[in-house]
Amino acid sequence: MEIELKEIRDFVALIPPFDQLPTGVVSDIVSKISVQYLRDGGSLPIDGQETEQLYIVRKGILALRSSDNQLMGKLGEGDICTFFCTNNAQIEYSAEAEEDSLLYGIPCLELTDVVKDYPGIVISFIQNSAAERLKTAVDSMQENAHAASSLMYTSVVDIMASPVMTITEDTSISGAARVMTDKAVSCLVIENADGVAGMLTIKDIAKRCVAAQIPTDNPVSDIMTRDLITISSETFAYDALMIMTRESIRHLPVLENGEIKGIVTSGDLIRQEGRNSAYLTAAIKKAKSIDTLVSSSEAVPQLQLQLVNMGATADHVGKGVTAITSAISRRLIDMAMDKLGPAPVPFAWVAAGSQARREQTSHTDQDNGLILHNDVQESDMPYFAELAKFVCDGLAECGYIYCPGNVMAINPQWCQPQRVWARYFDDWMSSPKPESLMFSSIFFDLRSIYGDAALLDDIRRDMLETSQKSTLFLAHLTNNALKLKPPLGIIRDFVLIHDGKHDDTLDLKHNGLAPIVDLARIYALAEGVTPVNTIERLKQVSGSGSLSTDGGANLLDAFEFIGSLRIRHQAQQIRNGAKTDNYMSPKSLSRLEREHLKDAFKVIQSMQSSLERKFRA
Amino acid sequence: MIDFFSKNPNTRRKKLLRTTPPGPLRDFLAEPFPEKDTSLADAPILALDFETTGLDPKQDHILSIGFVKIDRMGIQLGSARHAIVQSAPDLKPDNVVLHQITDNEKNAGISLEAAMEMLLENLRGRILLAHFAHVETQFFYEACRNLYGKVPLLPVIDTLEIAIRQQMHTPGHTSAESVRLFNLRRQFELPEYAAHNALLDALSAAELFLALSYRLPKDPNTSLRKLYREAARAINPGVKPQSDYLWRFT
Repeated sequence: MEIELKEIRDFVALIPPFDQLPTGVVSDIVSKISVQYLRDGGSLPIDGQETEQLYIVRKGILALRSSDNQLMGKLGEGDICTFFCTNNAQIEYSAEAEEDSLLYGIPCLELTDVVKDYPGIVISFIQNSAAERLKTAVDSMQENAHAASSLMYTSVVDIMASPVMTITEDTSISGAARVMTDKAVSCLVIENADGVAGMLTIKDIAKRCVAAQIPTDNPVSDIMTRDLITISSETFAYDALMIMTRESIRHLPVLENGEIKGIVTSGDLIRQEGRNSAYLTAAIKKAKSIDTLVSSSEAVPQLQLQLVNMGATADHVGKGVTAITSAISRRLIDMAMDKLGPAPVPFAWVAAGSQARREQTSHTDQDNGLILHNDVQESDMPYFAELAKFVCDGLAECGYIYCPGNVMAINPQWCQPQRVWARYFDDWMSSPKPESLMFSSIFFDLRSIYGDAALLDDIRRDMLETSQKSTLFLAHLTNNALKLKPPLGIIRDFVLIHDGKHDDTLDLKHNGLAPIVDLARIYALAEGVTPVNTIERLKQVSGSGSLSTDGGANLLDAFEFIGSLRIRHQAQQIRNGAKTDNYMSPKSLSRLEREHLKDAFKVIQSMQSSLERKFRA
Repeated sequence: MIDFFSKNPNTRRKKLLRTTPPGPLRDFLAEPFPEKDTSLADAPILALDFETTGLDPKQDHILSIGFVKIDRMGIQLGSARHAIVQSAPDLKPDNVVLHQITDNEKNAGISLEAAMEMLLENLRGRILLAHFAHVETQFFYEACRNLYGKVPLLPVIDTLEIAIRQQMHTPGHTSAESVRLFNLRRQFELPEYAAHNALLDALSAAELFLALSYRLPKDPNTSLRKLYREAARAINPGVKPQSDYLWRFT
């Protein structure tokens, strides 16, 4: 080997099993290398080249498939493909490039000859790797089988109670109770001439009739629930669970062709999957003391773990966990108002940041504020200060630590009449300063949790009108967003953290999810779309001037993939009884996942640079 | 004017062979060049790079040579050779920095004659490949003229010209900067090697050639004849080939 090829020898010498060979032998191996190029979509072996070769990937990605087209794994830079170097005729493999790839091919016969003095190292490696591949394939099949059993894949039709019992709306309450007893059901659908009029549960009879001392001769229309929230028969059980959690209800009629086909109850779902967030929000809604709320919030990590076990996506986990935070916030506001009396003017309690986007994982900081009606008087302010203190202190007790940046309703700056909030947004957008850019990542993601949502809607409408025209502000936001880069080096390697605290890890939140969240926010502000949830934002803006359809699809994939790694990483920490964080070691990933993660980071890189070009131009 | 593009290189090669005295150059010319209906994938190729003291073959000198063979679209690392050439007077300070070859090393090198003998032996029956081949061909001709009193025919593929032709289809993308070897390799995401080493530059050009040839309209199965016809069409008929001795595939 010419010494000028030292760079190639150094590359090969780091790769197992060659890392165990003396330098001289590695040099001999390099002399046997035929450098080959495989175009995206091309398969091995390359025409005209030796069929039996061992390949080292220098650049690019190879996807390996079995004869029945099952994906066995992916190979990236520095990985070895031994498929074409074994006498294992039982299983046929194929290797296809998923991007343009540069490969170092070594004819097997020549390799065997070069390493003949070290048979225990190279030859056994080649033989063992076949066994390892088989195991990986089996593992991934088991994983799929597990996921198939979860609520994610269960249709509500499979678990709903059907057929439903119906009565007319002029039936007496006592008559309805008799039907329930006779038929042993807890829920009836009420009809009138126009069709479905409402629903009645045993609980409704107990609460709205017996406890409220309404005569049992009255018609059921007096106490039934009108304005039913319904789901279609195509809904998955998981989504039904999410709707129950969000709406704090326990019964969901299932519609097919406009007719009620059955009813899914939270009990059905609980039986299906054990404890869940619907159960938790119900407990929160009834909580009489902060202690009860604290114990509910302590169950959040367990809920997150359960959702992950059920095969929930990061999006579902975020929404489930956020639903609990919002339920606790609402209950705390109710408790405060029980103590302080009704509010002197209408208000909106708004959540900011990840809670607003419904992307929380267990126990993050609290970010919130109060938008007060413009009629508020100076003398009303102590009321709201006390309300804010009660709620923020309560949240802190429940494990949502005080916001380090003091973005909370207890800060008088963030407890202001609507007109002051409107001025804040105008100032931030018309004269962007470092401070306002810092706030923008928090306050441009707002959601009303309690009170008069219109107070926020007005501000948002004006704000989005201005933001679309504020090119300078968007350019500043872009500059700021580009400070968080995906941890990917020039040669498609991970750039790991070395800070003494989280050595050899990747920060999935700050270097993976946050850059996508930032991009989505900028697109949303540029296009004037209202959602704050990152996935909804990306879906709405994709195909617009800000984001191409392909770019949008890629970002959605990247967001979901990094999110799924994060929730899985945290699930493992919860299982181990550790505190959750976002620092994941690439070593805990399979080779395939590492390649996927690099792909995801690459998507972020390219979307960041295209945004950069757009606003620097 | 002779239409060089229409001539069979082997006809001209045989004519030259008759008048060349015995020696390395004659041995080189004795071996047939790949025929025109050979596909690019089957054509034996030698990727070459010279590091020189400047761009003028009359005044400047070859400092080092590096080459590697390409067979059936595989770059054979075992065939790679690198040599420091002991031919120039004392080095100018600029070159020491650029090529990192010191006078001591240069003096430890081989003579230009030995270097050319090694090159001609490995170039037998092969097409020469280089990035911006003008430098390599001009210094090659000058060395042949000085050593053997004769200039041979040389079939050449220039990765720079292929890249320019490919970039012509995307207007506005071609610039002097964009077709530099380093930038093209970045564009195709090829690994980064230390620049200004003759062998690594030859290997760099060889890898770039693989990447470029898979992007030809008919990929590497394109015949040399087809390549050459397209070259004739692409290069404006008013533009003469750079050298009478050059037989170009681009």
